[in-house]
Amino acid sequence: MTEVSLLSLVKSYGGAPALRGISLSVGHGQFVSLLGPSGCGKSTTLRCIAGFEEVTDGRILFDGKDISRKLPEKRDIGMVFQSYALFPHLTVAQNLAFGLEMRKVPKAQIAERVARTLDLVQLTPYAERYPKALSGGQQQRVALGRALVIEPAILLLDEPLANLDAKLRDEMRGFIRDLQKRVGITTIYVTHDQNEAMTMSDLVVVMFDGAIAQAGTPEEIYNTPSTEAVARFVGNANILDLPAANPGAGTIDLTLPGGASLTIPAPEKPAARLGIMARPEQIALTGAGQGHLGGRVTRRLFGGGYIDYEIATDFGVLAVQTPANVLADEGQAVGLLLDPARLWPVARDAAA
Amino acid sequence: MRLAEALLALFRVLVYIFLLAPIAVVVLASFNAGNFLTFPPQGLSLRWFVTFLQNDVFIDAIVYSAVLAALATAVSLVIGTMAALYYVRHAGKEAETVRVLLLLPLILPEILTAIALLFFFYQIGVGLEHRIALFTGHVLMTLPFVFLNVTTSLQGRDEACELAARSLGASRMTAFRRVTLPLIAPGLATGGVFAFIISFDTFGISFILKGTGSAPLPIQLYDYLRFNFTPEAAAVSTVSIIFTLAAVVVADRLFGRKG
Ligand SMILES: Nc1ncnc2c1ncn2[C@@H]1O[C@H](COP(=O)(O)OP(=O)(O)OP(=O)(O)O)[C@@H](O)[C@H]1O
Ligand SMILES: [Mg+2]
Repeated sequence: MTEVSLLSLVKSYGGAPALRGISLSVGHGQFVSLLGPSGCGKSTTLRCIAGFEEVTDGRILFDGKDISRKLPEKRDIGMVFQSYALFPHLTVAQNLAFGLEMRKVPKAQIAERVARTLDLVQLTPYAERYPKALSGGQQQRVALGRALVIEPAILLLDEPLANLDAKLRDEMRGFIRDLQKRVGITTIYVTHDQNEAMTMSDLVVVMFDGAIAQAGTPEEIYNTPSTEAVARFVGNANILDLPAANPGAGTIDLTLPGGASLTIPAPEKPAARLGIMARPEQIALTGAGQGHLGGRVTRRLFGGGYIDYEIATDFGVLAVQTPANVLADEGQAVGLLLDPARLWPVARDAAA
Repeated sequence: MRLAEALLALFRVLVYIFLLAPIAVVVLASFNAGNFLTFPPQGLSLRWFVTFLQNDVFIDAIVYSAVLAALATAVSLVIGTMAALYYVRHAGKEAETVRVLLLLPLILPEILTAIALLFFFYQIGVGLEHRIALFTGHVLMTLPFVFLNVTTSLQGRDEACELAARSLGASRMTAFRRVTLPLIAPGLATGGVFAFIISFDTFGISFILKGTGSAPLPIQLYDYLRFNFTPEAAAVSTVSIIFTLAAVVVADRLFGRKG
C-alpha cells in the first residue's frame, strides 16, 4: 500500500513535449485510471512511473520519497503490458517465480508464493504450460499474477484488455477490479476506453495532449465535466448554447427559448464561452408544445432496454435516450423536458 | 496432376544432384587408390588419408583455420549481437545507415574488402604483422551473418519482455542474460554456424592478408594444387567438409528448434 504523487511531470522527446506538467496524487490502495485519446501521453506517464523513461522535469514520489532517479528494478513496481510480455521460454510457474528469484526469496518460499498466486489468478492447472499454449485471457492472468506475486508497492497496467474480445474484456474487467480490491494494492490503469475507466476506478484522470484535463470520481467526470472535450470524451453529450445571465454569483440563470428560465450552479472556473451540457438520458420526451424545447424526431434507434432518439431542435440535433417504452415516430413533433438539477455548465472548446 | 507431381519430384532430385554431386565426387575421389586425382576412383583405399594425416602442412592448416574461425566467430558473435541490439532497439533514425554499413562486407566484393584492409594496415604501420589484419578481415566477413540472424530473432520480439524483467527486479545485465539471450539463442546459433563456415572457407581475404608463415586451409590447398594433383587434396577437402558438418550438427543440437 503506497501513495503515489506526480509533481509537475514533464517528458520531452526532443520535439513538442509528450507530458506537459502532470500533477496527480494517488492514495493508498486506490484504483486510478488514466483515460484519454491515443497519443495523449498515458503510456508515457506510466513508463515514467515505472522508470522506463527518464523524466525531463518534475518528480515522482512513492510514500513521499522521491524515486524519479531510481532504476526500474529498484522501484518495486508490478507492471502488466498490453502485449503481456510473458517470457516465452519459461513456463507459467517459472514466469511467476522470476520476480521472486530476482529478490533472492528462498526456494521453498518461492514455490509456496507462486502456488498461492496461481490460485489467486485461477491458473493452478496451467502451471507447467508455456505461454504460447494459453488463450489470450489466460496469458493476461499470467501477466497479472507475475506482477502481483512480488507484492509490489504499486501495480501499473497499460491497456491490459485491449487485445481481448468484447465478452472476455467484460469478464476480465470485473476480475481485475475484484482482485485489486482483495489485494488492496495501489493501482494505476491506462485505457482509452471510457467505459473501462468509469466502471473500474476510484479516480478517473482524463488527459488530453500531455496534460490532465480533469481528475475526479467517475460520477464527477460524467456529471460535472469541466470542459466540453471532457464531457464528450466520457460519454455522449448535448451542449446547448443557452444565454446565461448573472455569471459569477455561484449560480447562473438560463433563459430558454420559450421565455422560461432555469437556475443552475455556476462553473468553478470562468470560461470564455459557456455551454450547457445535458446527457441524452437526462432529457425526457413529452408531447409537442410541452416541455422546455420543441423538436422533431429525425431518427429512432432501438437499443433493447432503451431507445436512442435524434431530435432536430433550434439548438441543432440533440441526442435523447429514453426507456424502451417511450415511443415516438420518426418525423413526429415532440417536446423536450430538461432537468435543471442535471444541467451542467462547461467551457466550450475554442474550436467548437 | 500425377504428371506434374512426378515432374516436380524429378526437378527436386536434379537440384539436389546439381548441389551435391561435386561434393560427392570430391569425397569419392579421396578414397582413390591411384596416384592421380581422377574420377571415378581407381580402386578404393584410405592411403591418401594416411598421407594427409602424416603431412604436417595440412594438419597445421586445418588447425589454423579452425582456431581462426572459432576466434573470429566468437568476436563476431559479441560485436554482432551488440550491433543487432543497437540496430533494433535504439538506432532510431540512423537504423538504415547502421544496417547498410554493417552489411557492406557482404555487399562489396571480398577482394575489395581485403585490399582496403591491406592498405589500411600498412598505412597505420602494422602491415601484416601478428595476423591482426587477417583476423580483422575474418571478423568483418563473418559479422554480417551474426548481425542478420540476431536481428531477425530480435525483431519478432518486442522490448516489453526485457522491460517486464526490469520491473520484476532484474538489472540490465540480468535481464539480458535471463530473457534476451534465451530469446535470441536460435539466431546466435545460426549466425555462429554461418560465421564459422564462412571463415573456414573464405579465400580472398586470407589470400591477400595472410602474410608469411602458416596459412589457412583454402590457401594451403590452393598452393598444393598448383604443383600436385594427387587425391590427397580430395582427402583434405573431405575432412574439412566433415568439420563443417560437425559445426552445423553441434549447433543444432545445442540451440536449434527450441524457441
Ligand atoms: N520514444 C519516443 N520518442 C518520441 N516520441 C515519443 C516516444 N514515445 C512516445 N512519444 C510521443 O509521445 C506522445 C505520447 O505517447 P504515449 O505513448 O504516451 O501515448 P498514449 O496516450 O499511450 O497513446 P496510445 O493510446 O496510442 O497508447 C505521442 O505523441 C508519441 O508520439
Ligand atoms: Mg499507450
